[in-house]
Amino acid sequence: MSLQKTVLFACGTGIATSTLVSHAVVEAMKERGIKIDARQCKTTEVRSMLTGVDLVISTTQLPTDLGVPAITTLAFLTGRGKPETLDKIEATLRA
Amino acid sequence: MDAFLSGLKGAVDTLGATVLLPVVIFIIAVILGAKAGKAFRAAVTIGVAFIGINLVLGLMLGAIGDAAQAIVKNTGIHRDIVDVGWPSAAAIAFGSSVGLWVIPIGIAVNVLLLVTRLTRTLNVDVWNFWHFAFIGSLTTAATGSLGYGLVAAALMAALALLFADWSARAVQQFYGVPGVSVPHLASAQILPIAIVLNWLIERIPGINKIDVSTETVERRLGVFGEPVVLGLFIGLILGILAFYNAGDFSTIIAKVLQTGMTLAASMLLLPRMVKILMEGLLPVSEAAHEFVAKRAGDRELLVGLDSAILIGHPAAISSSLILVPIAILLSIILPGNRVILFADLAVIPFIVALTAPVLRGNVFRMVIVGTVTLAVGFYVANALAPLFTSAATASGFKMPANAVQITSIVDGFLWISYVVVEAIQNLAVAGLVLLAVIIGGCFWLYRRNTAAWERAAGATDDETAEAA
Repeated sequence: MSLQKTVLFACGTGIATSTLVSHAVVEAMKERGIKIDARQCKTTEVRSMLTGVDLVISTTQLPTDLGVPAITTLAFLTGRGKPETLDKIEATLRA
Repeated sequence: MDAFLSGLKGAVDTLGATVLLPVVIFIIAVILGAKAGKAFRAAVTIGVAFIGINLVLGLMLGAIGDAAQAIVKNTGIHRDIVDVGWPSAAAIAFGSSVGLWVIPIGIAVNVLLLVTRLTRTLNVDVWNFWHFAFIGSLTTAATGSLGYGLVAAALMAALALLFADWSARAVQQFYGVPGVSVPHLASAQILPIAIVLNWLIERIPGINKIDVSTETVERRLGVFGEPVVLGLFIGLILGILAFYNAGDFSTIIAKVLQTGMTLAASMLLLPRMVKILMEGLLPVSEAAHEFVAKRAGDRELLVGLDSAILIGHPAAISSSLILVPIAILLSIILPGNRVILFADLAVIPFIVALTAPVLRGNVFRMVIVGTVTLAVGFYVANALAPLFTSAATASGFKMPANAVQITSIVDGFLWISYVVVEAIQNLAVAGLVLLAVIIGGCFWLYRRNTAAWERAAGATDDETAEAA
């Protein structure tokens, strides 16, 4: 059975780096059997976008008191440490 | 070569970005090694994005243009240069004749500087090559020569790498992002201003003690960070100023509310359209990343990323939230100003983010430096608006009939754009040579005294620091 999860991707614009990361994560998770409903926003909007979100993935600092699991990573932009980050994302989504 | 270039510029001007850019992007993507199917879909997506941006831009300029004309009639205040925002600027840049070439040029400059060991940054942020194309297309609009524009774009690509190397250690330490640098002109331009002003502030008794806590600012002014709400409020204010005398009460209410909603819509829709453009560029950007990485050797390189990665920092957010009302105030009180701020109020964090390491995250100082930079920016924008507007027309964007001009904070407010365009407009080839010599000289000075430059940009000394 494939798992369906909602992930919010955040960056400074809600356009640039978050688009890149969301494409990378959605494709990688599809291979691992997790279907992702991807949403995108600016970091400043994260607080008002949290309803129904299972995980927040950001390329820039997030507030620490969101109450939802959050990962800040540059791995998909720099190409360094991508597999580890994907493992971490999968583990969080399956938890 | 000249005939070829001017023929090319003619083709771009007639065919427009919606047709020609997809073709060029497809070819570049395939050359860089992307799969043909993926490249094709990406290329078509880019054309679609241009149509989308054009639609929303028309909607927004129509609403602001009408309001602006009415305000001029009511108050006599001339504010007829509309801030159309970086999404439009990026589309204009990529849609210009310079934009067609900017990806190969940017990559070539980066590879050349890596091979000659003049830079440590591998700029994988192909999307933001639009900044180089933008200044290049302003140059082309000013001189009518595509060749000048291309050289200007190449020089900007080099300058961005210089700024990236220069600020890298400060950025890594302050923002905690190892192995990264930020080759982003719109963010880097403030660095020299910040260094000078910080030096001054340090020497003013009393002022040099002030610091502002970030959390209260974020909670109180958080609404300025939400584009839809910001767009609605600005729309309502413009609507009231424009239409308070437009007839009976119900007409006024209808017009004011419509202006508010239209502007809220464009604030949300414009970036969405640019997201489509971004998606179209993804395969190209991935292929470019691989292409350059393969040729860079096994040296430890800094990965050049979008300054969007810095924007989440509380100091950057808080100071920009305070700067939004200040920017609006500046647009009203600055003598001679004709710019109405709108779409780019949302990207002020990009303008101030790189000052945080220099100013140690002191929000008070960031606001002062930001205010000065914006004030300078207004005059740059007023001066560059005619070129900005004609560059937009050349890229196939339709300007509304009510004859407004356009600008944007990113990159229409950049002093770098102004200096480059002025130098080339007044000195032609000598101007290009002069710019090349200045940029080359800065590379040389930076190499000679790397540690001091990095300290100036806000890096703190540790045991690894040594005079180079």
